[in-house]
Amino acid sequence: MKKEVLTKEKILKTAQELELELIHLQFTDIMGTMKNVSITREELEKALNNEIMFDGSSIDGFVRIEESDMYLQPELSTFAVFPWTQGEARLICDVYKTDGTPFEGCPRNVLKKTLKEAEDLGFIMNVGPECEFFLFHTDEKGDPSLETHDNAGYFDLAPVDLGGNARKDMTIALKQMGFEIEASHHEVAPGQHEIDFKYEDALTTADNIMTFKMVVRIIAQRHGLHATFMPKPKFGINGSGMHTNMSLATLDGKNAFYDDKDNMKLSETAYHYLGGLVKHAKSFTALTNPTVNSYKRLTPGYEAPEIIAWSASNRSPLIRIPAKRGNSTRVELRNPDPSANPYLALAVVLKAGLDGIKNKIQPPAPVTSNVYHMSEKEMTEKGIDHLPENIYEAVRELARDEVIKSALGDHVYNKFIDAALYEWYEYSKSVSQWEIERYLRKF
Amino acid sequence: MKGYRIVVADSSESSRQKISNLLKRKGYKVYHATDGAGAIRTARSIRPDIVILDTNLWGINAYEVADIIEGDKLSIVIFSTNRPDSDLYSYLKKMTLYAYITKPFNPEQVYQILEFVIMNSGRIHSLSEKIEKLEHTLESRKIIDKAKGLVMEKLNISENEAYGYIRKKSMDLSLSMEKMAQRIIKEYFQEHEQYVSRKG
Repeated sequence: MKKEVLTKEKILKTAQELELELIHLQFTDIMGTMKNVSITREELEKALNNEIMFDGSSIDGFVRIEESDMYLQPELSTFAVFPWTQGEARLICDVYKTDGTPFEGCPRNVLKKTLKEAEDLGFIMNVGPECEFFLFHTDEKGDPSLETHDNAGYFDLAPVDLGGNARKDMTIALKQMGFEIEASHHEVAPGQHEIDFKYEDALTTADNIMTFKMVVRIIAQRHGLHATFMPKPKFGINGSGMHTNMSLATLDGKNAFYDDKDNMKLSETAYHYLGGLVKHAKSFTALTNPTVNSYKRLTPGYEAPEIIAWSASNRSPLIRIPAKRGNSTRVELRNPDPSANPYLALAVVLKAGLDGIKNKIQPPAPVTSNVYHMSEKEMTEKGIDHLPENIYEAVRELARDEVIKSALGDHVYNKFIDAALYEWYEYSKSVSQWEIERYLRKF
Repeated sequence: MKGYRIVVADSSESSRQKISNLLKRKGYKVYHATDGAGAIRTARSIRPDIVILDTNLWGINAYEVADIIEGDKLSIVIFSTNRPDSDLYSYLKKMTLYAYITKPFNPEQVYQILEFVIMNSGRIHSLSEKIEKLEHTLESRKIIDKAKGLVMEKLNISENEAYGYIRKKSMDLSLSMEKMAQRIIKEYFQEHEQYVSRKG
């Protein structure tokens, strides 16, 4: 984002000039849902002095009743006016406890803690996401459907690209909110779209992902469409991923992954980072792919990764090193999907990489042939492992991984595990259409 | 009134049929939508002259739909309702035209209101275009005046000379006078700021 140095005074002045009526104080819960505490302009000064309180017990997975009072501490640089309506703006906030310390259940604080750890080692994390989503139509009752075009088909109407027009308006709105859009296009599956925005430091990118999802949903609705970030809404076509391009920079701004002397032009730091990612992939997948549905995307044949390997030439494994070098040297992690809480997902992925750097973990050899065509036997020989098959497996992997757990902290870890397992058990109990079709007649 | 395009957005099939029959009899072209989002999609696809929105529409609330359709200038909205209430009256005040149709449909009332809407929306449309143009002229006038003042002060010349100076400059650079004036103001204040910071 084009960052302008914002001060309290500037924000108050803008609010006055634009006659803002509502300011939304935004934060994210553990499951990655954005929450709003909306205040009027009269209360803005109080908010900017970190004096706005809310009842944390009303938020899922936040706190127990007895410790329910929480403070919101706005990040001034995130002030943005909503371009699609009159008189509304937002500020992204950190959640603080009444004693003035950061609340450990706030995902943004969790990411900040890991970023601090990176900084102590001399690194800044930069992230550029590629976020995919579907735009569906509503049915005759107004409920979201899986249709990507209207059936009415008036013969005198030229087909209008409703989704494309909506996407155009999304990029306009995002630009007005300070995003630099790098690409915006149709994806492989009908109704699927992708909008990429410029990389930023990890915290800004996580904020941007939350803003992005909000803008996409709102603008879609203004076009009569339903936007979904569900990882795999339809069987038989590609799911929606959120490929995550990341790199570390040194504190003086140099790309820490680049080394001219190496034959792949990658630094020791880059190799160790890769080593850490490969080592912890099974467990951080619980956070990068946190829903039951996430694992329906991670199946062979739909451009999504399912085996834990890396490559510079090949697009199919979990981790790819894009061809660009120099300051653009980066690692692309391909399993995250947009149902992930971006703060937690980036925190655990960074933690995995840092563990690689601290303990000088060497990555396995890169794969060069198309891994999709390898037999199970070949893979075992090469020591290539699979990503978890489902959220239950992923949660069990997470439970065994003290490094990744420590990035989350006890509070978030426990709440996350509870929620994920609850989902899994609910899902396991249900009887799917697939089973009915398969077994009803057979037995 | 032949050929005017009207979207009927109503979740009740019988209502849709009834009003469609009335409209077709007068030669209007009629399109259907059964829910709020569908009404928006149809409005975006065909840019109709009028959207008739039933206040009990399924899906997105009818008033929100109206906000979007008129806010994005897709069409003029009029409501249909079987029970006018205070919500309706307060929303009507925000709409381009204060007009609605009550159910059960009375053919004469429907025709009258539609004719009223078509005649007046045309007038309102051309008036608002004119206003927009005037506002723009006024705005650029203000900017040019401000630049003129700065030029007069700086070069110590008369008002007419300053105007001529800006016009000449804008012609030399093939810019509109407004753009040229903006540039002069910007440069003036940048110089001023540098001056102040040097002094500070």
